[in-house]
Amino acid sequence: MTLVYALIVGVAMGALIQRVGASSPRMILASLRLENLSIIKFMATTIAVGMVGVYALSTVMPMHFDIKPTYVVGVLVGGLIFGVGFAIGGYCPGTCVVGIGERRKDALFALLGGVVGALLFTLVYTLIETPLIKPLSYGKVTIPSLLHVSPVVVAVAVAALFLTAVALLPTERSRRA
Amino acid sequence: MADLVASPPLSVQRTAVRIPRWASLGVLFGLVSTAAIALYGPIGVSGTYPRFIGAVSRRVAPEFAASNPYLVKMGSLITQETMLVVGLLIGGFAAALISGSRAPAADIVHAGETSVGKRYRDAFVGGVLIIFGARLAGGCTSGHIISGITQLALSGVLFGAAVFGAGMLTARIIKGGHAS
Repeated sequence: MTLVYALIVGVAMGALIQRVGASSPRMILASLRLENLSIIKFMATTIAVGMVGVYALSTVMPMHFDIKPTYVVGVLVGGLIFGVGFAIGGYCPGTCVVGIGERRKDALFALLGGVVGALLFTLVYTLIETPLIKPLSYGKVTIPSLLHVSPVVVAVAVAALFLTAVALLPTERSRRA
Repeated sequence: MADLVASPPLSVQRTAVRIPRWASLGVLFGLVSTAAIALYGPIGVSGTYPRFIGAVSRRVAPEFAASNPYLVKMGSLITQETMLVVGLLIGGFAAALISGSRAPAADIVHAGETSVGKRYRDAFVGGVLIIFGARLAGGCTSGHIISGITQLALSGVLFGAAVFGAGMLTARIIKGGHAS
């Protein structure tokens, strides 16, 4: 049954990504160049609603949380490599799949690149595990656990911060001179 | 879904606020991500790529598949995450079809992409780097940034900062006219 839920979530997510324009490399680059922040604002709104939603619901029902471990070196180095690839290609691992759905040919090349990237990672995993994944590994750390504050309180505070920033920042940099 | 812009009540003055699309769709996506964690678990995508490598190698090179610790760790392709990826394809296709939006076959995004072939090259190179980086970090935009920060995970915040830091810097450097 959870496979069916995941499929439905995927369809909804794919449709939302397509409609907001996040599967467009042009929109991704406009965000990274700070020319049009609508994708970043979309993500920040999603996260703000989600964090209040999950932690509010967690007070009345069991939730399927799954916190990814913090291994500082691997997460940061991986994020830096990801960021460079994100700016070069304009796709992320999910948006290229949505892009293929809406018949973008370059998205297919991004997906193929991703398969090659996965193969490369598989081949070098044993070599990089010790220097990059094992050091500074703290396990499943959350911000509320670090602060010793209730997750609901942190969620509401961070969501308020995100939504305020999103509301105050201009979406488009106007320079049509 | 495109028509979530609030229709103003009759008595309202002309300055009625239009809700931007990123806001209404962002709220919807937040509800979808909440529903996923309530029903089965956080959304994620990038682990599907090595699981696909695993599924192929178990057929064509079973000894390699059985001896590679990463493929063993990632396991079967029959997971919720794979179903979600199939859903992304369907959702993207259906939304484009229903809305009648026509995406360009290739979006030229860098000055150096002087031919469609060069655009494909950049998309490919970007694809290699995002999956390698995501697997090193243990997640991507959906798993680390959306789901991670939603769950207030420290790893998601670190990953997000690194991605946008490197992404904004790279976009700025490339813009100078020498793409990749």
